[in-house]
Amino acid sequence: MLRFRTVSYRYKGEKTYALSDFSLSAQPGRVTALLGPNGSGKSTALGIAAGWLVPVGGSIEREGRVAFLPQMERLAFSFSCLEYVTFGRAPHLPYLGIPGGQDANLAREALARVGMAEKADKRVTALSGGELQLVRLARALVQEALWTVLDEPTDMLDPAHILALGGVLRAITAAGGGVLLSTHDIGFALATADDAALVKEGKLVAQGTRAEVLNPHALGALYGVPFAWDRVPGPLHNP
Amino acid sequence: MKAIPGARTPSQGLRLGVGLLALLALTLAALSFGRYPSPGFLSIRTLIEDPVALRVLTLIRLPRVLGALLLGATLGATGCAFQLIFANPLVDAGFLGVSQGASFGAALALIAGAGPLFLFGSAFGFAALALALSVFLASRLRFGGAVLRLVLSGIAVSAFFSAAVALIKYGADPHKQLPEITYWMMGGLSSANWRNLSLAAPLALLSLGFVLSTRWRITLLSLDEATAASLGAKPGLERGLTLGFAAAGVAAVTAMAGTVSWVGIIVPHAARIILGSDGSSTLGGSALLGAAFVVFADALARGLFPGELPLGIVTALLGTVVFFSLLLSRRVRVERG
Repeated sequence: MLRFRTVSYRYKGEKTYALSDFSLSAQPGRVTALLGPNGSGKSTALGIAAGWLVPVGGSIEREGRVAFLPQMERLAFSFSCLEYVTFGRAPHLPYLGIPGGQDANLAREALARVGMAEKADKRVTALSGGELQLVRLARALVQEALWTVLDEPTDMLDPAHILALGGVLRAITAAGGGVLLSTHDIGFALATADDAALVKEGKLVAQGTRAEVLNPHALGALYGVPFAWDRVPGPLHNP
Repeated sequence: MKAIPGARTPSQGLRLGVGLLALLALTLAALSFGRYPSPGFLSIRTLIEDPVALRVLTLIRLPRVLGALLLGATLGATGCAFQLIFANPLVDAGFLGVSQGASFGAALALIAGAGPLFLFGSAFGFAALALALSVFLASRLRFGGAVLRLVLSGIAVSAFFSAAVALIKYGADPHKQLPEITYWMMGGLSSANWRNLSLAAPLALLSLGFVLSTRWRITLLSLDEATAASLGAKPGLERGLTLGFAAAGVAAVTAMAGTVSWVGIIVPHAARIILGSDGSSTLGGSALLGAAFVVFADALARGLFPGELPLGIVTALLGTVVFFSLLLSRRVRVERG
């Protein structure tokens, strides 16, 4: 269980709250998608879920470890994909620890699970945006965390990579893990999420199953633009 | 053979082993190289037959070459650590005001006519003060990430101490104090002796020990704050610890040898080209290469001409040539931001 209880958060130097009275619960074994306009507080909520930001009010209940993939990531040095994924073993190593063969094997397995096994020795700085996102996901997998929290994971990905990403997320939940993500990609949310939550101006405005929440009327009210679709795509199936 | 991240691959291990052997050979060559009794290399026979040659070796060349090893290893490894924790391959200790603080401390001691012990203490103390000021100013800034704030405040503190040094030079006796200050700031090991070495060695070795034993965690800090934190690191605390130990090492060797530029920037680049980006190998590789580079540069500085060249000039000349060669060969890559 990952539960926000009337959480509020305000960034240093800001007068307004990024989140206020925000309550949300996400279940292991399910993909929960946060949707909302830019600046509505989704990234703040994910930062709090990951433990990166500490709420100024309310509380958060979190069982198990969290692997967090922020939207943007700095890559100043050209590590190989294997070295980069192995960083995910850090929570399992002591402060002076150096990863060994077992950690490397786990990293290779994670790369294989995201379909990037053959890129193990390639430099991360030479990857395409889609490949990099899958390698980042592999790094989250080797953390062996109960929760995987992703901020805008489909940002700038092509449809094939979005499909591959969705497949890995479904595999995580099929194995009992929980996924909490934010997205502006309604199609991705409809195809991947089990549950959805709508966020506007730092507050939760709706939460429920995908079918309950992701409808043209609610999304129209959330974004202030009309929505319409003829057929709702079914959830992704793992091949 | 597949790479094990963090652990050294056989090829990296081989390269480090070859590097160690090459450093040993270079050290022995540097010890025998000089201008006594004649320009060139000492033979074992000369050492046996000429007691003055033996004294030159043990009292002058040995502490000097050991000082060069310590200086190069410390500047190389800490330069690599600074680049990793600031996620910027163009950063070294100069960006945080450490070198400029040490220069100010030394200039103050020289103008006061103080002895070598006071000079060492003053240079080290002001280097530490400059770092503390940079960290304090960064904590007062209300914009940007932790790295940007530190770099900006470091630039301001460096500029302040540079101006203060200029002020001391302006007021110094132009016949005695001004040349002393100027030569000290050019950097060099001409005054290296066992006493100076024993002052700098404990701190420099502690700094090296910390940086090398935490090499994988330091590499982890090159990822951004949120990512490093999500991987279980405490970025603020760990970056602060690394900064403190690395800066203490730089302050100690700078107090011993003056400002020796370019080693902290150029050596980590060369180490990355030879060993790859993983700091587990490049931090050790930078220590090794830095030591070899400074021992070689110091041998050139004292042996190339009848009068000695300041080491800082030799490292800057060699460093800029190597750096431009790397840029032109496209071995230094601009990475995704």
